[in-house]
Amino acid sequence: MLMRFFNRKAHNVFNAIGEVREALGTQQYIASDEIATVMFLAEKLGKPVLAEGPAGVGKTELSKAWAGATGRELIRLQCYEGLDETKALYEWEYAKQLLYTQLLRDKLNDLLVGSKTLGEAADRLAAEEDVFFSDRFLLPRPLLRAITSDKPVTLLIDEIDRADAEFEAFLLEILSDFQVSVPEIGTIKAKHQPIVLLTSNNTRELSEALKRRCLYIHIDYPTFDSELQIVNLKVPGLSPKLASQAVELVQRLRGMELKKHPSVSETIDWARALVELNAKHLDRATLDTTLSVLLKYESDLAKARRAIGREDRGRSN
Amino acid sequence: MDDRIIQFIDALRASGVRVSVAESADALRAIEATGIADKELFRLAMRATLVKEAHDIPEFEKLFPSFFGTGAPPMPNQPGGGMSQEDRDKLAQMLEQMLANMTPEQLRQLFEAMMSGENMSREQLQQLLSQYTSQGQMTNPYYQPWMTRRAMRELQFDRLDELLQELLEKLREAGVSEEALQQLAQEARENQSALAEQIGQEVGANMLRRAAEERRQPPPIDELLDRPFDRLRYEEIDDMRAVITRLAAQLRSRAALRQRRGNRGQLDAKATIRANQRFAGVPLDVRHKKKHLKPKLTVICDLSTSMRPIVAFMLMLVYALQDQVSRTRSYAFVSDLFDISNDFNESRPDVAIEAVQQRIRPGYYNTDLGNSLATFARDHLGTVDRRTTVIVLGDGRNNHNDPNLRDFEAIRRRARKLVWFNPEHPRQWGTGDSDMLAYVPLCDAVHRVSNLRELVDAVDSLFVRR
Repeated sequence: MLMRFFNRKAHNVFNAIGEVREALGTQQYIASDEIATVMFLAEKLGKPVLAEGPAGVGKTELSKAWAGATGRELIRLQCYEGLDETKALYEWEYAKQLLYTQLLRDKLNDLLVGSKTLGEAADRLAAEEDVFFSDRFLLPRPLLRAITSDKPVTLLIDEIDRADAEFEAFLLEILSDFQVSVPEIGTIKAKHQPIVLLTSNNTRELSEALKRRCLYIHIDYPTFDSELQIVNLKVPGLSPKLASQAVELVQRLRGMELKKHPSVSETIDWARALVELNAKHLDRATLDTTLSVLLKYESDLAKARRAIGREDRGRSN
Repeated sequence: MDDRIIQFIDALRASGVRVSVAESADALRAIEATGIADKELFRLAMRATLVKEAHDIPEFEKLFPSFFGTGAPPMPNQPGGGMSQEDRDKLAQMLEQMLANMTPEQLRQLFEAMMSGENMSREQLQQLLSQYTSQGQMTNPYYQPWMTRRAMRELQFDRLDELLQELLEKLREAGVSEEALQQLAQEARENQSALAEQIGQEVGANMLRRAAEERRQPPPIDELLDRPFDRLRYEEIDDMRAVITRLAAQLRSRAALRQRRGNRGQLDAKATIRANQRFAGVPLDVRHKKKHLKPKLTVICDLSTSMRPIVAFMLMLVYALQDQVSRTRSYAFVSDLFDISNDFNESRPDVAIEAVQQRIRPGYYNTDLGNSLATFARDHLGTVDRRTTVIVLGDGRNNHNDPNLRDFEAIRRRARKLVWFNPEHPRQWGTGDSDMLAYVPLCDAVHRVSNLRELVDAVDSLFVRR
């Protein structure tokens, strides 16, 4: 449905944004206006999207949903410190190359039989050189796969802030021209321009050059209403009243000074736990057993328990 | 419309958001795709293409309405719409007569707009304002109501009432019914107040724009670089922050380049085979594992009153270089040592520095480096290993306490390097209560850091391999 729209010439933009949101909705992803607009622009302008924000607000989920909505394959590159181009782009299959030379030795002899001079033999060999430096021996890594894929794909470059600054510079060629150079083969251009999503948890500043090439979106914790909507969608078993109580508590926890605030995915996990435990309301005992799903530090847990306890006492007085 | 977008981008730049030419081109392309009919969509498209830092978003949101704001509500009525055809003709005729010989010009325009209900475009309003009102110097939003009233007075906005009365009088003479007149007056007044609101908004927009332009002067970087720390004025500290961010970026790329040149590691078999594929596997071009020289830093800062600004800049610089450092621990002392690493792990450097300075306050004459070194040697010596560079940032003035050279020596034995940054001139070392001369022979390097340039050079030297 979505692709039909993007191929259409005359269009109505309002519908387009609505359609983007609807398409993401079919993947159980609730998109804000902002997200829908940025995805629309990414598709229209063919630019990569850089999504920043705290951990667990659905940045990675967005790319999965987008791949699902557009019916494209998702290719994921997880970044980490020390990631280099042999892991991200391509690697020669040395073993296979050596094996082939060994196996083809006879054939090579045949080829060279009858050449009168050394020069002629060399020329004949050179004519066959391509065999050894071809796609056949190229082991594609995520980036090359995304570029050479026959079908359009969605490329997710996850947690780019964890990769080194050099790797970021290396990405620039791919992100702006969608092509890579392999010295032995030449430049490979993308058959279909992939939709690229980069995510960052902002553990370090990304370079200006990278940011310049991307559309930017800052995804923050959702508001009460949209988080409730997400919980209702993802955990249908939870009663509406309990769901709204749970989300309210999560939102309050985010307002507190904690080492790590609960993310949306943790809210969902917690909601699932509540369903599993068949909880009817958020009483003391339920909270004691399940709060550790939301908060991952002992000090945070203690702080939250104290705050909730204080409130309960306040209510009973 | 494009003009307005360009102006907006200018204003964004002026208020400190970095927007490149490529990005402004992207913004125009994005708007081609979304159109401008939907304000919300337009705003989001502009934001996604122009603003690339979360902390710049508030600035964008503040400026946007003053350029593209929904504006004040349009004038609601077309006066005289409910009158009979005959009356309407009379109205048109009278209006034309009045307008024909009305002066001054701006009043004629306003009156025409008010009586016809045709909204003036923002450009027209701007023109009106720039021609007929004096532009004030006020840029503080607090003065907006006052500035608006002044603009109204200069436009002679009050006289619209008189003119309306005059028109009504003429129509009454011409025999238009009282009921129709009252309705006309009502409609015209509603238009008038809408017009007033629109003008108010434009005045506000102008003030914001001027404020953005005023902020344009870039800080005199060279001058700031050489200014001694103790002679920095309070308001220059913000400028310094911007300078430090840039210097840190330079330092970072310099450090990264140095790392790449380092080629003295082990043989990298994979990379060698890969590089020599084109020589049929004969290793002509031997590759080595890149040795990443990422120092571990331990910073011990003197937080006594005189040292505070330097400590703040130093920590900002060190923490801006985090990706070139494998681990940083920081400690602050006045009379005793505090581990402040956690503050920096949990929040942004500028916030953390603020928090630390709030928490650890200097008293009078209680700096005790000796005691602090003892605490460090007792509790934290385990964190120092042969890859750690320990930096002491202080003036070495110890209030005649024991300099505790024994523990200082112990730290030096464990560390890769022990470096001292001192803001005082070497001449002053050893004078008064300064124990600096006792420490100097034990240090691998001593740098004088009395201004930002020296500080940057000193920090840079930490990344030079030896």
